[in-house]
Amino acid sequence: MKLGLKIILIITGFILFFGLGATYYVFNKPHRNIAKERPAFIMEASELFEEFNMNEDLGNKKFGNQAIQVSGKVAEITSDENGFSFILNNSMEAVNCTIDVKYKGKATNIKIGDTITIKGKCDGFDMIMGVVLTKCILIE
Amino acid sequence: MKLKYLLFTIFMGFMLNLHAQKYITKSGKINIISESPIFTVEGVNKKVASILNTETGELVISMLIRSFEFEEAVMEERFNINYLESKSFPKSIFKGKISNFEDIDFTTDGIYKTHVEGKLTIHGITHDAEVKGLITITNGIISAESEFHISLTDFEIEIERAFKKSIDDDVLLKIDFTFIKH
Repeated sequence: MKLGLKIILIITGFILFFGLGATYYVFNKPHRNIAKERPAFIMEASELFEEFNMNEDLGNKKFGNQAIQVSGKVAEITSDENGFSFILNNSMEAVNCTIDVKYKGKATNIKIGDTITIKGKCDGFDMIMGVVLTKCILIE
Repeated sequence: MKLKYLLFTIFMGFMLNLHAQKYITKSGKINIISESPIFTVEGVNKKVASILNTETGELVISMLIRSFEFEEAVMEERFNINYLESKSFPKSIFKGKISNFEDIDFTTDGIYKTHVEGKLTIHGITHDAEVKGLITITNGIISAESEFHISLTDFEIEIERAFKKSIDDDVLLKIDFTFIKH
């Protein structure tokens, strides 16, 4: 085989390899695992609500998309086909935590009035829902 | 900010006065679907909040963009960072009213064709929206379903050239809410 041809084949081989690698990456990149992340903030649910309540924009910049660990009293429990969630603190000043389906098991024993600690991703703040945390996992 | 919260509470108080029937959901579901010959992309938000006033037909829907989940992590990232820019525009809101309100008897079980009109805000851009759906009432529980289309360019959502063939400008939104009396 001519040397030129060999080089072209090798280069083509590399391009294909990286191309396939990139495609594999795009379709198989793992989702963020909040359960394994160290929380960016550890605080009381009431404090988290208060920060967003004082200034929603600042709250979003500070907490948005971060893993947050909050502790608080369970005010409401909701379970339907769209998820299992706790409202911490109180219904008017709520931190709304939706448990990741993978970790639901541990959470089903919780009762209203219990004080619990939860770690989840902060999606933001909404007038109707309060502070919203998703992909939550129960921490003892 | 406390003032804004207080004003909102008063506003909500007026909007949903003492005699008002307020129905609420905090786990409404919205699917966002883009179909193209190349592939279908679908995201789902299961944390949609909505309040329906059955005395006036007023409807408010609010959702956080970060609550949308996609099967491909890369798609979820692009959706948040590039397309919807959720850091700058964390929410999408609809404020409107059931326009054929008189046709619906919320005290009687049944399935009612519904027309809703209002203002839809996505990515910081607000447009008038007219949507058809179905309201089903069973034993005091109100469910609402609807399917409607939006144009991404209408809301200044830009798809990069590399994906323009795979993500169509026309996107389908499917709504599925179950309200309970507040």
